[in-house]
Amino acid sequence: MTAAAPAKRMRNFGSKAVPYLLIAPVVIYYIFFWIRPVLITVVKSFQSAAGAFTFQNYVMVFTDPNFLPALRNTAIIVVFSVTLEFLGALFLALLINRKFFGSSFFLFIAMIPMALPAVAVGAMWLTGFTAHGWINSLLYYVGIIAEGAKIYWLAGSEWKLLALIIIIDAWQVIPSVMIILLAGLQNIPEETIEAGYVFGGNYTTVLRKITVPLLGPTIQTAIILRLISAIQIWLVIVLLVGFSRMPVLVERIVYFHEEVPALDISPLMASGYTIIVSVIVSLAALLYLRVSGAFGGKKEAS
Amino acid sequence: MATLRMQNVTKQFGRSVIAVKDFNLEVKEKEFLVLLGPSGCGKTTAMRMVAGLEEVTTGNIFIGDREVTELPPRKRNVSMIFQNYAVWPHMSVYDNIAFALKLKNIPKDEIDRIVKESASLAKIDMLLDRLPSQLSGGQQQRVAVSRAMAVDPDIFLMDEPLSNLDAKLRVSMRTELKAIHDKAGATTVFVTHDQSEAMSMADRIVIMKDGEVIQVGSPDDVYHRSRSIFVADFIGTPPTNFMDVKIKKESDGTHLVNPHLNLLLQPDMAEHFKNYNKDHLILGIRPENIIMVDQGEAALSAKCLVAEPQGSHQVVAIELDNNIIKSIAPANPTIIPGTDVHLNFKQETLRFFDPDTTLAIND
Amino acid sequence: MAKRIKKPIKLSKVISKTIFYMLIVTLAIAIILPAFFLVSLSFLSTREAYQYPLPLLPSMSTEYSLTHGNRGYLISVYDKFEEEYQTVLDTNELEKITVYMKNQLGTPYTIAEIEEQIAILESGAEDPVYFNARKNIFLNYISFFQISRDAVPALLRSFQIAGLTILVSLTIGGMAGYAFARYIFPGRDALKFSVLFVRMFPGVAIALPMVIILANMGFYDKPVGLVLVYSVGSIALTIWITASIFMGIPESLEEAAQVFGATKFQTFLRVTFPLALPGLAAAAMYAFLGAWNETVSAIILTQFNPTFPVVVYQALLGAVGNVNLAAAGGLVMAVPSLIFTFIIRRYIQQMWGGVTI
Repeated sequence: MTAAAPAKRMRNFGSKAVPYLLIAPVVIYYIFFWIRPVLITVVKSFQSAAGAFTFQNYVMVFTDPNFLPALRNTAIIVVFSVTLEFLGALFLALLINRKFFGSSFFLFIAMIPMALPAVAVGAMWLTGFTAHGWINSLLYYVGIIAEGAKIYWLAGSEWKLLALIIIIDAWQVIPSVMIILLAGLQNIPEETIEAGYVFGGNYTTVLRKITVPLLGPTIQTAIILRLISAIQIWLVIVLLVGFSRMPVLVERIVYFHEEVPALDISPLMASGYTIIVSVIVSLAALLYLRVSGAFGGKKEAS
Repeated sequence: MATLRMQNVTKQFGRSVIAVKDFNLEVKEKEFLVLLGPSGCGKTTAMRMVAGLEEVTTGNIFIGDREVTELPPRKRNVSMIFQNYAVWPHMSVYDNIAFALKLKNIPKDEIDRIVKESASLAKIDMLLDRLPSQLSGGQQQRVAVSRAMAVDPDIFLMDEPLSNLDAKLRVSMRTELKAIHDKAGATTVFVTHDQSEAMSMADRIVIMKDGEVIQVGSPDDVYHRSRSIFVADFIGTPPTNFMDVKIKKESDGTHLVNPHLNLLLQPDMAEHFKNYNKDHLILGIRPENIIMVDQGEAALSAKCLVAEPQGSHQVVAIELDNNIIKSIAPANPTIIPGTDVHLNFKQETLRFFDPDTTLAIND
Repeated sequence: MAKRIKKPIKLSKVISKTIFYMLIVTLAIAIILPAFFLVSLSFLSTREAYQYPLPLLPSMSTEYSLTHGNRGYLISVYDKFEEEYQTVLDTNELEKITVYMKNQLGTPYTIAEIEEQIAILESGAEDPVYFNARKNIFLNYISFFQISRDAVPALLRSFQIAGLTILVSLTIGGMAGYAFARYIFPGRDALKFSVLFVRMFPGVAIALPMVIILANMGFYDKPVGLVLVYSVGSIALTIWITASIFMGIPESLEEAAQVFGATKFQTFLRVTFPLALPGLAAAAMYAFLGAWNETVSAIILTQFNPTFPVVVYQALLGAVGNVNLAAAGGLVMAVPSLIFTFIIRRYIQQMWGGVTI
């Protein structure tokens, strides 16, 4: 390591400036198009319409009748998406982590959910869950429901709706996370696992003490990215039940900005919710970055 | 410590790949047995079947009195040193060594004692707190050794453990491993493709090719009494020299001849052909058994191609019709390339091979 | 030696293998089924889309019967589900018939072709006249683009924006990625941390304030504006990818070029860049996917010049009955995504398997 550093400095003239030249565009870009907007939002969130300093905007958001439901719904979806769906994906990844006939084809198929854009997924489930959609049709063909009978999926209680959303989410999340975990699993050298068996472990022991710990970094990364995505879920919900029926955080932002923009409070509400989402996501991101030591310089990708 | 017996063991992958064919082996207690052969000969597969990491297609494996053929690795009481060490990167050296012991519910202070003892045998007792990523390759290998010793197994398995080390380290580790083996009195099966490694460490060598056993014997056996051309060629550096020769019975005895060679065989050597019907064979002679003589006494004369001084001796190469013959000559006088050399053989060391079966004619 | 090895068969193994494969197949079906329906629905005619239960497979043609009716001609359609002909039109306006056949059943028929059938009827040879019309399965897609007037420009805009985003991301991001890979400089860790943070930051949070910033720049509701916003996240991702690509190219190759007389720039052009090309292509596709799929920011930052996902989104919001059109729109959106994701699937697996964030 020490031999490399002086060698780098020994290069052609101007080499000292080169890295800075290379990163200058990014830095400048981010100052204008990231730091500035973020600062503006933060500052504005503390300003009243007249420009005076105030907490009123936040009070408004917190007292919005939909705030707590939005928070709650988002939280529930996040919890299920990150824990149950993740565990399911882990279970599956461990199960199918071996070469079997048709495995590459299976993985090919498993990539479909992660490859679909949000609106396509929305179209898919919208056409499914309407009363005369393909889900009811399928159930009829399979014989589960009688001719002419329809299940009104979208007209249930809030809890039923949440369950539905989570299932929809699972359809997309479980295969995607499973693929990520499989990639991580394949990176563990076979011999390292075999040694576990030779030195006394049965299947669960090796799993617990060797495989999962070695999968740690991958799991960590996948969880945090999943968390951040889940917090921002909104499109499928809106397409299925419209605005305000089942509020979640980002849905509120879009609602105030696009659906009722003329209201006085709308811009303030929109930016208020935006800040809340940003804070939550930032906390999660910071937590992850700290835990994974990414900025401690320890885990340099080599 | 126990014996190991493999009986008619065959391993088939998929529908057509037979990695190990009808393998039979008996390893005595405390023996250091080496499986030797080129890549793909099945030696590692055979060992992995003993460990329980590969399923046996047909056949049986016995450790001591127990049949272990269907048992998972952890129930066989074997331990293994892997080629890439396979030390667990997320555990300290101490935990690596203690892993198996903890699973056996051995009391803590006992574990501590065993770990420290094993670590000091492998000379890593001061590294117990480190993580593998902080260790060099050689140190990691010692961790693997220490881990394997700590469990006090019936059988030690070593899968090319020295292959990833640099040359000098490899040679010194050979001695250490052998010393550990002797001290522990452990029955060991050692896999390698390096014939000098096998020769220096083994009590017995099993030479394998394409899934089959070619010869089993002590290093002495396989070296001086190679049973086939493959073995004679594989063992020894530089390897055996081979020459196509015709058998000519003349008035003064049996001659072996080819365009460059005329060798009058001693009567006891000619005895080997009693039951041999063909009129030609392949002659095998090791470089150190070729001697430089005066022109009158030579069986073979040619121009020296290259002479490689090695300090204590020199390796002299001659070329006969695209066939290079090497002999070992004393360091002085230095042979100059291009000059004539006159050679004869130590006949009692000659090996004769049937050109069609490639098997040795002498017994 | 003859291959007479017979592998012994164990019952427990057969059972566990069977269960395993059953699980795999079930999973595969569960994954494919919704996607299958999306595709199938996009090929359904309007009449089929209103049917309940929905047909599992779209029909490729329709059976019609033509006979005399009260007001002129009676057109009936064969309903596969009910297994009978059902009357749909009673008129003497041929135009109405062709319009119905096209819009409701997706089987375009010209007036001349109708007249042919009428002639057969009038000749008395058959009554009713049965005829078969082929379906144009792409009619939904065409209709989607016709009905949503914005659709075609939006599609083009989406491609344009994605392309520009690739350009911006690869240039700015690629440069920074190279810097990370090859140099150690003060501030490197801080920058790395910032880039990671930006990458994880919610895109919607930037979109709102950018409305005003872009408006001031004159870029609101313009593709350039979207490119600027998309690139924020895209650059971060590109830096991460390109850094690992460049790190994978041994420095000794570059040094060799310089020993043999190349300048740094020439080295990059002739040695580094070609070797990095596959990885850069993957980075480009990643950038494409990000820009192509982005919906929230697009909704916020466009008004009269939406991108394609916005158009589909709006169509879906209003699509209560026309499931087939909605499906068609969604599928058009999905196709480039699917294609590119599959192309770079090995990179996705490599990224997750090898490198932690």
